[in-house]
Amino acid sequence: MSYFVPEVLAPAGSLDKLKVAILYGADAVYVGGQKFGLRTAAENFTLEELKEGVNFAHERNAKVYVVLNSFLHDKDLDELPDFVRYLEEIKIDAVIVSDLGVVKTVAEHTKLHIHISTQASVLNVESAKLWKKMGATRVIVGRELSVKESGIIKREAGLEVEMFIHGSMCMAYSGNCVISNFTQGRDSNRGGCAHSCRFEYSIDFGLKDKESIKAYFMSSKDLEGIRVLPEFIKEEIDSIKIEGRMKSNLYAGTMSKTYKEALDYYRDNGDFLSEKMLMWESELGKVSHRDYTEASLVDKAGDSSIYNERENSNDNEWKSIGHVVEASDKAGIIIEVRNAFNQGDELEIIPFKGEILKITANEIMSMMMNPITRTKPSTLVKLPYHRGAERFNLVRAKGSK
Amino acid sequence: MKLTTYAQSLHDLNIIKENGLDEVLLGHKEFSRLGKLSDDEFIQLSARARELGLSPIFEWDILMTETEFPSLAQKIITLKEHFTEIRLQDPGALEFTLTKMDSKIQWITENGNHNLFGLKHWEDYIGPRLSRLVLSIEIPKLSLTEYIKELKTPVEILGLGRILLFYTPRSLLSPLVKNSDDPVTKTMLQSETFEALGESEESPHKGFPLVENRHGTFMFHIKEFCLLDYGAELASLGLSYFRIDLRPSSLTDNLPKVKALTTEFSTEGFDAFKDTYPQDLMRGFYLVNKTDVLFPKLKNSRLVRKDEGYVGEILDVAKSEYAVIQLKGKVKLKVGDNLKFIHPEGKEYIVPVVWMKATDLTEITEAQENQLILMNTMNGLWVRGQAYLA
Repeated sequence: MSYFVPEVLAPAGSLDKLKVAILYGADAVYVGGQKFGLRTAAENFTLEELKEGVNFAHERNAKVYVVLNSFLHDKDLDELPDFVRYLEEIKIDAVIVSDLGVVKTVAEHTKLHIHISTQASVLNVESAKLWKKMGATRVIVGRELSVKESGIIKREAGLEVEMFIHGSMCMAYSGNCVISNFTQGRDSNRGGCAHSCRFEYSIDFGLKDKESIKAYFMSSKDLEGIRVLPEFIKEEIDSIKIEGRMKSNLYAGTMSKTYKEALDYYRDNGDFLSEKMLMWESELGKVSHRDYTEASLVDKAGDSSIYNERENSNDNEWKSIGHVVEASDKAGIIIEVRNAFNQGDELEIIPFKGEILKITANEIMSMMMNPITRTKPSTLVKLPYHRGAERFNLVRAKGSK
Repeated sequence: MKLTTYAQSLHDLNIIKENGLDEVLLGHKEFSRLGKLSDDEFIQLSARARELGLSPIFEWDILMTETEFPSLAQKIITLKEHFTEIRLQDPGALEFTLTKMDSKIQWITENGNHNLFGLKHWEDYIGPRLSRLVLSIEIPKLSLTEYIKELKTPVEILGLGRILLFYTPRSLLSPLVKNSDDPVTKTMLQSETFEALGESEESPHKGFPLVENRHGTFMFHIKEFCLLDYGAELASLGLSYFRIDLRPSSLTDNLPKVKALTTEFSTEGFDAFKDTYPQDLMRGFYLVNKTDVLFPKLKNSRLVRKDEGYVGEILDVAKSEYAVIQLKGKVKLKVGDNLKFIHPEGKEYIVPVVWMKATDLTEITEAQENQLILMNTMNGLWVRGQAYLA
């Protein structure tokens, strides 16, 4: 017997990340072109890369959604019809949109599926009904909603529902923050967010004889919903979304693998074992992150969802070493090094499925087979071949500096 | 061009009437982001507004989760006889009002909605019940001119008032002081709304007004938005409504001055107004909105892959020995080809392919997509450099 599970939707800030996410199990990825998305600084996709990404995904039964979720100004709309026609031609699976002008432009020029972005803050059944009438086939509901509320929206509005389950969170209602626009001249809703919510602020309550209070009062902890998966399944949420197109290959791969393995387990067994849950949680903890919160997935986010700490103060004990760019009997395992490691270090190669491959880096060679005792970032090194290692496998180590 | 503004008391209604306005915005505390009126207060003010010949407009501008929505939807039905028009911001509230009520609708499009195409579709969707579109203050004059001309619906923009920067449903101020023993702080925490000022060393702006109430936490710009000096211009463009939000200051003191300035503007009068007004003022993006001009600087466009002639990416360079290239493009690379690399600063390097090796160090003369190859290098090549056929 096979049980219902949601789609795992992973971020792909580049073509490599798309491949990593899909190989590690993502059922779908969301990507951005060079324009119209909210991650202007991300590598993003050229037209040719989009085509290659779609082919790569479709060959593996995965889907590709393209973000067009900026609040576009008139001049931005001029270039949109050609782009969306191209997206239709290369057979992308849906576009993610937050502005009515964009929704109608897409509908006028293509038959593409339209997913309403979380930027549109769809928070209730009536709102979802409105967007359905506008042509949407799915809503990505606001992160202020519980899974239960989202289930009601799905049933009563008759639309697919997608929910964020993991990653960084806006503290504001998405699309309702313009701090960057007015303080730094960068439109946060067209890809220029300066993350002012992560700053430390002095708060003056105007109380006599009281000093200001210093706090990161607008910064949210990161979302982690692995323990809420049974709720997502119960409410038949169509897609669980992982935030983070700007994040690393290790992030895209680890998140895709962990959530997919958890859902595969449920699909086959109809339950989650607590010891498995502990293992999956542990895997999610091995990627750099702020403290985790379930935010509003179960109950309304409270005081404990605020991340009142300096950015990057969570010194994760696991480091990304890099990823495998080639693995064969002849050439060995070639690793693109992201963080340096030493001869003798214990490395973990993460396979696309199944158990971690643990190896000791006793023998490290340069590409010309010269021995190395300490690797350098942004170089390639060779290790002896180990069965099971494959191109795009991620490599991590404990405590490597 | 008509003025519109908020009333929070019976006294405010008299001031509004005295200054010749013909409508008043009423913020019920359960429906309006910054509203403070209870049921009774709203009904009382609404009735008095009508006696004075003012049209009471009900503001329902909060965003609502599915848990919050049904009770508010139920309640708005019981209040509908007390207002003539309703202004909405949550698309759910719009859909509900369109399907379950018959009120005229003022649709707030202040978040996003920066294109005429979308605004026209809102007009079409809401239809004849749409009495007003409230546009974003991020729309510059040139676009605003076109919008006012092209839209069938009367347009409103903010003329004077706070600039809302941030709106979250989470309570962000009270957690900072909730354990305080101080009686004044305890009293503050018991009030329905409390305010603070925030500043950050990472921002040059000091003193952001912060408000926490039942709907969450709001942050405003340190300066208020003001287009009073462009009032005549906006009137000539055909702007229908100019919103004057004096809730943080004094309606009694300031509405007559605003009325005078919008009736007959004078530079001296405006200077005098600015001198006495409690906040500094700014015109935001009215003259021009260039909030996308910095985007090209967020990413070096020379590092972005171009599709034409694309070969691949350098993953390793060993000085004077070799470079390793991951072939990613569709083209085949052969010994004898010339490769072009564009440095982040713009300089172009042309490198002839003299030799190539596979990763097992066997000599090869040709390579294709997905292969990793070693080849001759030259000074100046760098990891992550993108290779193109020259």
